[in-house]
Amino acid sequence: MRIFENSNYGFIASRKKGYIFSGILILISLISFAVNGLELGIDFKGGREFVVETTNPLDATLVRSALASVLTSDPEVKTYRVDGVDQLLVRTVGDEDIDVVRDQLIRGIAAAFPGSEPVIEKTYVVSARFAKDLERGAIYSVIGSLLVIFVYILIRFEWRFGVGAVGALFHDVIITLGVFSLLQGVIGFSLQIDQTIIAAFLTIVGYSLNDTVVVFDRIREYTGLFKSESYDSILNRSINNTLSRTIITSGTTLLVVGVLFIFGGEVLRGFAFALLIGIGIGTYSSIFVASPIVLELRNRATKR
Amino acid sequence: MQGNGFKIFLAVFFLVLSGYYLYPSAQNYFIKQDLSSLDSEEAATYKRENFAKIRSVEEKALKLGLDLLGGMHVTLEVRVESLIRELASDTDDVFNDILRTATAQVETGDESIIDLFVQEFERRDPNARLSRYFRNESAGIKRSSSNEEVAAYLRTEANEAVTRAISIIRDRVDRYGVTEPSIQQQGTRRVIVELPGIDDPDRIRGLLKGTARLEFRLMVDPADNVRTLQRVIEFYETGVDSTASASDSTASASDSTLVAAADTTLDINDLLNTTEKKSGNALLDVMQPLGQGVTFGRVAEQDTAKVNQLMSDPRVTALFPRGVKYMYTSSPVGNTAEGREVYDLLGVRNEIELTGDVITDARVDFEQFSNTPEVTMTMNSEGSRTWARLTGANVGSNVAIVLDGVVYSYPNVLQRITGGRSNITNLANQAEAQDIVTVLKSGALPAPVEIVEESTVGPSLGAASIRAGLYSVMIGLLIVALFMIAYYRTSGIVADLALILNLVFIIGILAGFNATLTLPGIAGIVLTIGMAVDANVLIFERVREEQSTGKTLKASMEGGYSKALSAIFDSNITTFFVGVILYSFGIGPIQGFAVTLMAGILSSMFTAIVFTRIIMDYVVVEKKKTVSFG
Repeated sequence: MRIFENSNYGFIASRKKGYIFSGILILISLISFAVNGLELGIDFKGGREFVVETTNPLDATLVRSALASVLTSDPEVKTYRVDGVDQLLVRTVGDEDIDVVRDQLIRGIAAAFPGSEPVIEKTYVVSARFAKDLERGAIYSVIGSLLVIFVYILIRFEWRFGVGAVGALFHDVIITLGVFSLLQGVIGFSLQIDQTIIAAFLTIVGYSLNDTVVVFDRIREYTGLFKSESYDSILNRSINNTLSRTIITSGTTLLVVGVLFIFGGEVLRGFAFALLIGIGIGTYSSIFVASPIVLELRNRATKR
Repeated sequence: MQGNGFKIFLAVFFLVLSGYYLYPSAQNYFIKQDLSSLDSEEAATYKRENFAKIRSVEEKALKLGLDLLGGMHVTLEVRVESLIRELASDTDDVFNDILRTATAQVETGDESIIDLFVQEFERRDPNARLSRYFRNESAGIKRSSSNEEVAAYLRTEANEAVTRAISIIRDRVDRYGVTEPSIQQQGTRRVIVELPGIDDPDRIRGLLKGTARLEFRLMVDPADNVRTLQRVIEFYETGVDSTASASDSTASASDSTLVAAADTTLDINDLLNTTEKKSGNALLDVMQPLGQGVTFGRVAEQDTAKVNQLMSDPRVTALFPRGVKYMYTSSPVGNTAEGREVYDLLGVRNEIELTGDVITDARVDFEQFSNTPEVTMTMNSEGSRTWARLTGANVGSNVAIVLDGVVYSYPNVLQRITGGRSNITNLANQAEAQDIVTVLKSGALPAPVEIVEESTVGPSLGAASIRAGLYSVMIGLLIVALFMIAYYRTSGIVADLALILNLVFIIGILAGFNATLTLPGIAGIVLTIGMAVDANVLIFERVREEQSTGKTLKASMEGGYSKALSAIFDSNITTFFVGVILYSFGIGPIQGFAVTLMAGILSSMFTAIVFTRIIMDYVVVEKKKTVSFG
């Protein structure tokens, strides 16, 4: 089986369309940041999260109002069913003693829904100060990753490629974050930004780069090989000749991430979702963003 | 096949190495299987007979994270500011204010509290000497000691406090009896405690953060107590807004006291009979006044925070008898009509007569008549003497036995007690008695610790995560493997073999490096399955390109493998860097993800470049057969 065998699409010629498409997506993302913002998970905000198992399905709104009267703060309640077990996800803020809160939670649910036999299966508590540290760690790892990647590309390729690669990375991360910002609360699972999501984002960064570098590697090779050809056509040839690989690797990766999204359970759903979006966008950007940036930078240099 | 000898050696070597590291995991699995098929008595015998073997297998086997196994992950932080406060003597308002400012700054920055404290102190008065608060002959801090010397002394004390806290917590955990606990220091002030398979997190939480400060205190004079109660009620009677800031309402407060004093017919018994709540009195709304003996009032569980706030108002504390503060009882004294538990608020003296340092032994006992559990403590000779003197001088009064800020019991002294014995009574159950014995025997923590992060997962949720992870790995593997065969035919089969070998290597690397498999780690493995074929895809696509130029199969393979190398290398190494960074900054589960990501990259590069080449060369060069690249 062969796909994109000897493909010869005019990617470079139609790069303007790519710019417009990317521009619109980035604009929507930025507007969404300004309007919706991003919802931080308790990793970075501090708070408590409980997973409560019950013997029968409960209504989230009713649980919420039942708990609001026993807890000191209004909790956030979600219900779902995993492996035939009904579960509640309860998030609260505050600094009361955790034993007291757990106790209030169990008694509150048991009193409001007799026979539901609530059991706390998971407790996750992050103090505000610890959340600050986690946030700092996340920021450091994001900045660190971008820096290391940029330096590596600089060493292995010329600087224009570094700019192209990092530009594509920002493109991917902004749009994926934009999707998170747009869909939060709309979609049936949590899109809060927590540590796992940061890990997903850095993986997207790594992956997007992986794709980009393969194209760059080909450009480097062809620049030496086809000296008489214009830079435009070298770029286009490189993208086309690596297209089949790009699509197949993205395909297999998207397949497994899709599997993770469907079968990986509630904990990994947001993570898998970020990867699905990010890898999709990353594949697009390695074709339509990274190499065109290199071309624009080079054109500007020759014009001068 | 010449030149492939080294590659074959490497492949076999890594395979054997993985096998070596994975063997204990397999053994562990089969032992667990065997055990679950035996009944409990046989299992116990089996465990006894093979204790050493089981132990060593468990230690070497691949460890599962607490998110999969179920258990408790707690990050504790030693409160250094409390330590500073305790090391200081002759503290004044300036000191308290500086410490408060420094503590607030710590919340937002990542500098050490000691540095901030010293900075803040020097900022206020560059010429002042910290030594005036921290004079300590044995530590060599004299009046003339420089601020740097004091800071160094504080730092040493803080480090020592953390080290001691770790050993005390380890002792407590061991006494409680957790299998394979892990207790590690993180950074300078934090301790990570990991306890697999915990079924009673409430108890553990108490054990971990209980400072185990045992104190014997004298209590408030009953007459003073009633008078104070009356005054505090009067203070709130006139409807002083308790939330108003102290500065602007001081005037009105003094006015209101005057008014109340003029109309002093307010009788305590009237107040006691006021069963109707919502009296308009901020204090009486949340507390039932008692004023009997040393008891100030009775507070329902959910109102304690409110009462604490009312009772900590500086204008209210000024009404307290000199040297007295109020503490709650450890266990509820009854229930409200709505079934809420209520606690007594008791007046105790600030001065600590005797501390837990004098306790040499503690054990769980049962009270002779009621058979309720209690803790019997034995004191050393110095403690016994003080205890005898204390009880002798206070026959007829109450002595409060305080543990970690709450009053366990406050017996009325009937006679002078010699022999250094004392009891802690009013315990909820035997478990609580056992826990108190545990903390008393392990010793008091040098400084209070706070739980800053906790993640507790129940065993059934963990099992569900393992199932979800395993399904994802298997389904992902199947889909990718089928795709590769469909797309690349024979060479797809070779790539699939490499993929399976990859999984063995990844898990082997995890076991070999003693890493822990977490749920994000499993996600990393699933992701690796999708990305691992990339190197092979790069090679195979190159081979196809070479073939299309009319080269022979052998030459195309040669060209494909060598030309794809730089792209494979460049694209993988950057993702590897991301893994390294994630590992350095992430905690717990994220590190698990980073480790599998890195392991996956290394092993996929190896299998794609070396392993598939060996197979291809064998088939094409040795057997002279063709390999289809689809």
